[in-house]
Amino acid sequence: MKLKEYHWAIALVAMLFGLMLGVQFQLTSDSHQDDPSSERTEKLAKQIEDKKAALKQLQSNVEQMRQQLDEATARPELGRLKKRLEEVGIMAGTVAVEGPGIEVTLNDSSIALKPGQNPNLYVLHDEDVLKVLNELKAAGAEALAINDQRLTATSEIRCIGPTILTNGNKRLAAPFVITAIGNPDTLDSALFMKGGVAEQLKSWGIQISANKLERVIIPSYSGAISYYVNGGEQA
Amino acid sequence: MKRTMYISLLFTGCLLGIMLAFQFRTNTGYVQQERPDVLTQELKQLEQDYQVLLAEATDLEKSLKQIEQGGNQTYEVLQNELQKVRYAAGLEPVTGTGVVVVMDNMSTTKRTDYDPSLFSITYEDILRLVNELRAAGASAISINGERLVSTSEIRNAGKFIDVNLTRLTTPYEIKAVGDPKKLASSLQITGGLVDTLKEWSILVTVTTKEEVTVPAYTTPLDFDYAKPLKEGKDQ
Repeated sequence: MKLKEYHWAIALVAMLFGLMLGVQFQLTSDSHQDDPSSERTEKLAKQIEDKKAALKQLQSNVEQMRQQLDEATARPELGRLKKRLEEVGIMAGTVAVEGPGIEVTLNDSSIALKPGQNPNLYVLHDEDVLKVLNELKAAGAEALAINDQRLTATSEIRCIGPTILTNGNKRLAAPFVITAIGNPDTLDSALFMKGGVAEQLKSWGIQISANKLERVIIPSYSGAISYYVNGGEQA
Repeated sequence: MKRTMYISLLFTGCLLGIMLAFQFRTNTGYVQQERPDVLTQELKQLEQDYQVLLAEATDLEKSLKQIEQGGNQTYEVLQNELQKVRYAAGLEPVTGTGVVVVMDNMSTTKRTDYDPSLFSITYEDILRLVNELRAAGASAISINGERLVSTSEIRNAGKFIDVNLTRLTTPYEIKAVGDPKKLASSLQITGGLVDTLKEWSILVTVTTKEEVTVPAYTTPLDFDYAKPLKEGKDQ
């Protein structure tokens, strides 16, 4: 028979086809199973998305109003008060700032793990980030942000899995870029001095690098500032 | 005869390809989902942030209306705004519910278990403690009377620490304003920071308080590098 070779090929393809059909069927029926926990997750994820959208909307409203307020108060006789407001705002994080500074990039270890080694030792922890930030503050950083999230007096650094949570609801993904305004040379040498933070982190294989920059832009804190009136917390 | 064979082969091939694509898609469709408890936490935080921002929006609306009325109102609005930002920056003392944490090294004569030079309080312990308090929603924190602001460092100074360029000695008294229960439990959770420190024979007490007063940051503001970002000059 002339067609013998074809036959084999067709048989093979048909078998593959059948196998895939089977696998596919199983997969789809699996994923459509009423798994209460996955349904719960989906529902929560949806709620979170909605809330995030609402928050973003409100955020832009607030920003708009802040700008209106800023424009409405642009009068020469108020100059001194506004200047003071700006100064205090730099400290509070409500004013976006620019200036010379440094950009530090942090990333998990690139070292290939040997079997039996604890992978936990080679990933970035809250403490590592805290130490870098602390070192920059000690070296005179005047404003700081991580992945464009302005850090205020109450900003926390939380590592959740591979992400960092800060300012309550801001989830950041690697690589983590810390920007700081201050004397670039002082900031840089504070991190990279002998026995300094960078050296410690590098020994775990954590990747840290820095760029001295002439102009760094640090955005304002995007959340609301909670404030107090007569000693009680208002918001 | 041969032609029909080719056509059916072609047809099967196409179908196989489509299925392969589908299979690939359903497989990658399994996006890694967070656990429900993490999501619930995130949702709760978002809800909270939304409420705070809503209060800020209401406040801004009120301010804008006030300005429309003209006259001295504008000055008042700005004063009000400045006061708010001063609180956020840490330039005003804050009184409210909270916790007081006292940390001290056990006297060396009493210690037999650990080398006291290795297991006494380090700046890292305090850095972690403060971060925990922030993550638990503390709105104002001080260490031995030094208010922590956005630029405050906690610097290693041998047996002691420097905060805001001021030398602090043991015992360290950390005051935080916030939800006392949340603040205390974030530290006292099993396997948490207090547990670890106690294991090292460091004396830690956490007391919830109806009223805690965190002092203001008193160093005059002086920004040499950070300047307010001018609109339009962006990028």
